Amino acid sequence: MARISRNLNPSSSDSRLGEEDRILRVWTPVVLRTVLVAAVVLLLAGLIATAIQAPGYYVNRFHAVQHSAETQARENLPALLRDAFAGDPRGIMTIGLVTLTLVPLARVAFTFILFLREGDHTYVVATAYVLIALIAGVVLGRIG
Amino acid sequence: MLIILGGLFALAIGAGFVGAMSGLGGGVFIVPGLVLLAGMPMHVAIGASLISVVATSAGASVAFVRDGWTNVRLAMILECATVTGALTGAYLAGVIPARVLEGLFAAMMLQSAYFGIRKHGEDLLAQSDRLASWLHLGGELPAESGTPVHYGVVNVPAGASLMVIAGLMSGLLGVGAGALKVAAMDYFMRLPLKVSSATSNFMIGVTAGAGAIVFLVRGDVATTVAAPVALGVTAGALLGSRILPRANVQALRYMFVAILLLIAVEMGWRALAGI
Repeated sequence: MARISRNLNPSSSDSRLGEEDRILRVWTPVVLRTVLVAAVVLLLAGLIATAIQAPGYYVNRFHAVQHSAETQARENLPALLRDAFAGDPRGIMTIGLVTLTLVPLARVAFTFILFLREGDHTYVVATAYVLIALIAGVVLGRIG
Repeated sequence: MLIILGGLFALAIGAGFVGAMSGLGGGVFIVPGLVLLAGMPMHVAIGASLISVVATSAGASVAFVRDGWTNVRLAMILECATVTGALTGAYLAGVIPARVLEGLFAAMMLQSAYFGIRKHGEDLLAQSDRLASWLHLGGELPAESGTPVHYGVVNVPAGASLMVIAGLMSGLLGVGAGALKVAAMDYFMRLPLKVSSATSNFMIGVTAGAGAIVFLVRGDVATTVAAPVALGVTAGALLGSRILPRANVQALRYMFVAILLLIAVEMGWRALAGI
């Protein structure tokens, strides 16, 4: 119903909605693709570096994970991230995985900023909730 | 190393492709692939799958959003429900034994198969109900021939309730729970099937992302497995999303259902036999 009356009486709020939808449609793919490409480059670089520097280590680690009990395969994330900056291939792969995980976060953050700028309060609240929930995942992972 | 990598890549490309084509997300195929074919423990498979599902979603969404199939506003609203479920599920997955997870996984696959063959409401609604109108959730189908077709949205609360369950399954089992998401949008909220599929694919990123963050921080993502799988899935998903607009949806659906049933039987047997 709202849509129909909107079509009959175009007002400033309608053109704002149209503009929001246009920005979402054009820029959401750009945000998604940029972060995704960054993650893929990091993952590829890490894998290639591993294949050149330490293929044996990769195979050993693979079999260790395969035969591990439920939680023995756990990785030490802070240590892996530190290693990455020292050029360790597995650390680089880990940064790639972290970047990949940040794709949805980046996308939600982008829409949050857009709705905030446009003053679309309902959607500011919705996106803020999702953002907070994603960040809360870090806390849950620590205590889990 | 190259043999292992080749195997993981092949598995992941196939899962990403089928995941994007069916709107189910790659997880339903990656988790059993890693457990049954690569001999991975359930928790490792779920961690790798969650990360890969984020990649599937992002890869496929680029084309779906650009071409106008995705209802981004609806996704924002329903994501509030899915992340809540996903965080709870991912937290619980850390404390629930693998056998129970495998049994639940088999049940989830049967449910996916059921939703796959169930009848769809094909007729479009001209108008949204009050809540959906207030949220401006109605949209337009991309004009493939002539003028764009408007569609309405109804029953947001019912859809959102199902999304909490979809999120829970996602975090718990490492899947996108796309079948349930598509069913909620297609059946309860009366959206066109391709819009449901594209919007589900889009939302899966946030749902799986929330679970993936928990797994990653907890250290339950095995880098050696997750890195090649994520790469393969991204490639497969990009391929799938390119072909989807030209695909015969109905024929594909029966194929996916057959694959799902086969894997469900295998996973269920594992859970019961307690391997």
